[in-house]
Amino acid sequence: MSENGEQPGAREGVERMALAADRVPGRAPMSTRRSFRRRVAGSVGWTVAALALVVIGVPTVWLVYGVVARAVPYWTWSVLTQPGAGASGGLENEILGTLLLVVGVVVLAGGVGVLSGIYLAEYASGRWGNLLRGGSEVLAGIPSIVLGYVGYIVLVVDFGWGFSLAAGLIVLSAMTVPYVAKSTELALRQVPTSFREGADALGMREGYSLLRISLRAALPGITTGLLVAIAIAMGETAPLLYTAGFTGSLPSLALTHKPVPFLTYAVWTFYNQPSNYAVHLSYDAALILVALVVALIVAARLVVVWTQRHADRRGGV
Amino acid sequence: MARYGVAVAFGAPSGADGQPSLAGTGEQAAVSLAPVPASDDLALHLDGSRPSPAAVVTKGLTLGFGKRTVLEDVDVSIPRGRITALIGPTGSGKSTFLRTLNRMNDRVAGFTRRGDVELDGESIFGSHVDLVTLRRRTGMLFQRPNPFPMSIADNVLAGVRAHRIAKKAAWPAIVEARLREVRLWDAVSERLGDSPFRLSGGQQQLLCLARALAVGPDVLLLDEPTSALDPLSVEAIEALLRELVPALTLIVVTHNLAQARRISDQTMFFFEGRLVEFAPTDRLFEEPAQPETARYVTGRIG
Repeated sequence: MSENGEQPGAREGVERMALAADRVPGRAPMSTRRSFRRRVAGSVGWTVAALALVVIGVPTVWLVYGVVARAVPYWTWSVLTQPGAGASGGLENEILGTLLLVVGVVVLAGGVGVLSGIYLAEYASGRWGNLLRGGSEVLAGIPSIVLGYVGYIVLVVDFGWGFSLAAGLIVLSAMTVPYVAKSTELALRQVPTSFREGADALGMREGYSLLRISLRAALPGITTGLLVAIAIAMGETAPLLYTAGFTGSLPSLALTHKPVPFLTYAVWTFYNQPSNYAVHLSYDAALILVALVVALIVAARLVVVWTQRHADRRGGV
Repeated sequence: MARYGVAVAFGAPSGADGQPSLAGTGEQAAVSLAPVPASDDLALHLDGSRPSPAAVVTKGLTLGFGKRTVLEDVDVSIPRGRITALIGPTGSGKSTFLRTLNRMNDRVAGFTRRGDVELDGESIFGSHVDLVTLRRRTGMLFQRPNPFPMSIADNVLAGVRAHRIAKKAAWPAIVEARLREVRLWDAVSERLGDSPFRLSGGQQQLLCLARALAVGPDVLLLDEPTSALDPLSVEAIEALLRELVPALTLIVVTHNLAQARRISDQTMFFFEGRLVEFAPTDRLFEEPAQPETARYVTGRIG
């Protein structure tokens, strides 16, 4: 114990106990300096994690509260049933336009993205696969305003589609396909090999087992990707300004030559209009967006819980 | 020559469990393996004059991954309607052998094969062979139960639906018949719509057996089917396997020598990438012809 002579008394006691315990084979010391350090590191970790939660949680609550508090006092249900462009009427045209865009993105980006993800997970290997994955990541990294502008020049002007549903959908889908593809690929890779082996051993054809076993097991992950795509489709403004345009009347199902109104447009422009009515409408639009996003997340969770009711692990969204 | 399937009648589960201790003795490295010719019993080839007693025949089968050879030059005839056990230490090539019989190794990167496997006299590697048909005829059960993430009833029906074996109206009857066949019906009849993952490991394995039987295989390949299960489940599954012969041909990889003795009619002993001995189980354990076999079954190598 002489090597510990310089240590302060209390510490020396701990040290001595630790060393004594060390001599008993198979018995770990109850308290050592290292365990103290571990406790400190542990509480620091918990504190940082708690702070991070606060940093995320507080602004979220504050933001939702801000929207609700400003929208609810002036809320009238006619907002949902009347079209308009800010100064009068409601948000029916923007709501329907946004829903139209969301459905379109789910079909277009969902279809292309899921198929790409299947290809990446099952067939694209080696350098070719990495090239595709890299390309997909680059696409995800392009600023939305750039995609919007390219869409404007190519689709709206060159192709002569004008502000239209097709132009908006294609640009939104180009933005969201990488997320859907990535989440599909990752989810498929996480399907246990034993499922696949079981399907092979039963003589299921590749496509059949992919559809009935693998994709089903991968559904929670794919849904996560789709939710990101939907959230982007609902929340994006910049690329839609260039491609979807705006109209005060109800959107049509025509793919080209008819502009599509959308909620974020109302949030962004009505707020700047010189009329209290339009400002209130912009808060209403924000509230409706929040409500739609929450409703979609809940619906997606329910779908996942239902389809995964036989899974051994519950998939989260 | 063709002694199996004709004269050999063993089989009463003798309850012999003289399982030798498998404690590592470090002797393994000292074993020298001169190329021993396979014993007479292995030289079973198709005899044109009478119906083949063999369900599966391998000819010069050599298997490997990449440049490494896992199993060399196996010529055997596995008799129909019997239980054949495959024993040998880890890495001896027995699992690779088993998984070649229904071409599960095809998908594995770097898998190489020379030689041939015949199922009922027909090569399973022929260009006209349909993997789907091959695997319908050779069911497989894995080490860990692997029910699909769907309801218990849907699990039994998975293969039936994939191959469109029966009309929808017949499905409930199939579910009941197969679950009764594996003695699982009474335990699950009230919860056919539940997740299979709430069943015990043994019950899950029985469910997988029911699923495999539902597509009507001729041969069942079992890759250590009970090694992850509790003793009672092991007993239940072993009893079931005995009932499946002679209707089916069973080929069972097992690490459990006592199990091989209890359930199998004949045993193949693999060691260091070779088939060392293939003989009726009693004889292989009582009077092994090869020195390595003797050392393995008495627990001195392994």
